[in-house]
Amino acid sequence: MRAYPYARPSGPVTLRVTAVRLNGPDEAREDLDTKGYSVVEQVVALGRAERPDWETARLKLSATVPAREIETKGHWSDLTVVAVLTEKATNARTVARLEPEGSDKREWTGTVTLARPDHLDRATLSVHVVATVDGVPGRIIASSERDWMVDVTADVPLRDRQLDVVTVSFARAAEWLRPFRDAPWMVDTSGRMPTVRLNTDFEGLTALVQGAGTKVESLVGEMLLSQLCTDVWTAVFHTAIGDLEIEDDGTPLLPPDWRGEVLREMLPDVVPGRSVEDALREVHARRTGDGTWAELQPRIHYAATRRAEVPKALGETVRGIERLDQEATA
Amino acid sequence: MTARPEHLPERLALLADMQAATYITEGLLTGREDVPSIALNKATEELPVDDARFRLRPVRDLIDDVMHKFRDDERPPTAADAWLAPRLHATLRLTRREAADARLWSYLALGVAPDYVVRRHLPATPRKDGGAPSVARARFRGVHYTQAFARLWWTAELFRNGPDYAPVVVACGNQDMLNTALRMDVVDHRPTALALVRLIERGVIRTGREANALASAVNASAATLMYDVVAQDSERDAEPLRDWIAAAEGASPVSRNALPEGPQEERAPENSVVVLTDYFEGLYADAPVRGRELASDPPAG
Repeated sequence: MRAYPYARPSGPVTLRVTAVRLNGPDEAREDLDTKGYSVVEQVVALGRAERPDWETARLKLSATVPAREIETKGHWSDLTVVAVLTEKATNARTVARLEPEGSDKREWTGTVTLARPDHLDRATLSVHVVATVDGVPGRIIASSERDWMVDVTADVPLRDRQLDVVTVSFARAAEWLRPFRDAPWMVDTSGRMPTVRLNTDFEGLTALVQGAGTKVESLVGEMLLSQLCTDVWTAVFHTAIGDLEIEDDGTPLLPPDWRGEVLREMLPDVVPGRSVEDALREVHARRTGDGTWAELQPRIHYAATRRAEVPKALGETVRGIERLDQEATA
Repeated sequence: MTARPEHLPERLALLADMQAATYITEGLLTGREDVPSIALNKATEELPVDDARFRLRPVRDLIDDVMHKFRDDERPPTAADAWLAPRLHATLRLTRREAADARLWSYLALGVAPDYVVRRHLPATPRKDGGAPSVARARFRGVHYTQAFARLWWTAELFRNGPDYAPVVVACGNQDMLNTALRMDVVDHRPTALALVRLIERGVIRTGREANALASAVNASAATLMYDVVAQDSERDAEPLRDWIAAAEGASPVSRNALPEGPQEERAPENSVVVLTDYFEGLYADAPVRGRELASDPPAG
C-alpha cells in the first residue's frame, strides 16, 4: 500500500465495457458481438470483428465511483472521471472523460476510441477519479482496481493467453529449423509471443497432441502435452530472465511484455515467500555471478512442471491405463 | 571499422530476433567485422505491406549523408541524432503499430546500416574487463529506447508537435533526457513531453544530471497527479497520419538542410504545454540533483 499526501476515498471504483462499435472506411459500422467481450475476464477481443478492415473501435464504458463517500467526507471538489487506454508496445495513450449519469453521480459513462494504427497487441484500460484536494487540482484520488485488457487480435476474450502452436516440417522449413529435424517440437521464445513448432516430419505427432484418436492415444497425447508445456515454461522463464533491462543502480526491471507476465507467475515458486521484485533481484544475482545458478535449476523445473500440470496429467494417465487394463481383462 | 553492407536489396525487410542474434558477433560489436549481407538477406521475412515507404534506398541515403556530414568527428556526436531522428521519421512514415515491430529495427541495424551503428555507438574507452571497446548488443537488437534506430524514431514520434519536429531536435541535444525520458510512460502524454523540452529551451535544464533529476521528479509526481486532466491534449485524429502515409508514394526525399514536416496533426494546446512547463519548473527547483552545487557541470554528450 502506498502512502498519499492527501485524502483518498476508500470505496472501490469499477469499470465495465458495455458495448463495442467498430468503424471502417466509408462510414461502415459493426457492433461487436457480445461474445467479443467478457465482464468476468474483463477482456475485449477485437479479433472477433467480422470486418477485417476496421479502423477504430469505440468502447462504451460505464464506471461506478464511491459517490456517497466523496459527497459526505467533502475533501474533494471538481470531480472528473477519466478512462485511460494505453499500450506499452506502441507508447499509445488515449484519455476520455466520462460524464455522470443521474444526480447521485455514482455512475459515469462515456466512450474511448481505440485507433488501430496506434495499437499492436494488447491495450490496458483503466479508470481514474481525479479531483481538487487541498487546493491542488488534478489529484488522482481513486483508480479501478483491475484493468481491462483490449486485445486487438484475439477472437476470444480471455485474460490468459493461448500458446501459439504451429505445425511445420522441420526438414523443409526455414533454415534455422533444419538442424533440429530430429526433434519432435521446438519452443521459439524470440518473437512477440512464444510459439511451439510441432514437427510434422514425425508422423502422427500432431494427431496425438490434438488428442484425436483412441483412448490410449488420448492418454499418451495428454502426457505429451504436459511434457511439451514443461518445455515451454522452462524456455520462457530462461528467456525472460536472460533478457532483463538493468537500472543504473543494478536493479533488474520486470519486462513489460509476456516476459514480465511469465516472471510474475513463476517467481513465487522459484523463490518462495518473497515479493516479485525481491525474487527477481535474487534470481538475477544468482544467474549473473554469485555461482548458485545451478542450485536454482530444480526450483525452476518445479515451477515449470507445476504450471504444466504434470502431476495431474501423470496421475490421470496412470489411472487411465489401469482402467484400460481392467476393461481388457473384464 | 565495419563497412557499408555489400548487398543492399531494394526493399526493407524484417529480421527476427533469433536470426539477428546470429549476426551480432563479437567482431561486429568491436567494429572489426562486417555483416555478411547476402546470407543475412536470406534469413529475413518480407514486410506485410508493399508500398513506397519500405524502399531501402532512401533510408540508406540518409545514413550515407549523416556519415558524410559528421565524417570529421571521431564518432558522430549527439548532433547526428538530432539530424537523423526527424529525417528518419519523415522518410519511413510508419504507424506506431508498424514501429512496434522490433524486427524492422533489427533489420535496419544489421541489414541496412551496421556501419553507422558501430560508428555512432562504439565507446572510446575499453571495456571494464580490459577488452576492446565494444558496442552494446542492445544497439542492434533491443527495446525501443536503446536500439540505435528505434530510439531515434520513437524520440521523433513522441517529441514532435504535430508536423513540427523542432522539439525533437532539442530533445536529442540532451542525451540523458532522451535516454531517461524515452523509457518513462509519462512522455506518452504529448504536453508532458513538450514541457520537458521547453525546460531545456528555457535553459533550466542544461546537463545530463539535471535532465535525469527532472525526469525522475516528473515521473514521481505523475503517480498522484493526472497530467492529462490538468493539461489536456487535443484529440488524436487518425486522418492526417493516413494521408501522410498515402502521400509517401510521390514524396521527394526529405530535405537535408531544412527540417522536414511530419503528418499534419493538430498541435498540442499551447496552454497545456505552458501549464506543465511552469509546474515542472517548480518541481525541479525542489528536486535533488546530483552535484547541483557544482555549477560548472559539463553538458552530457
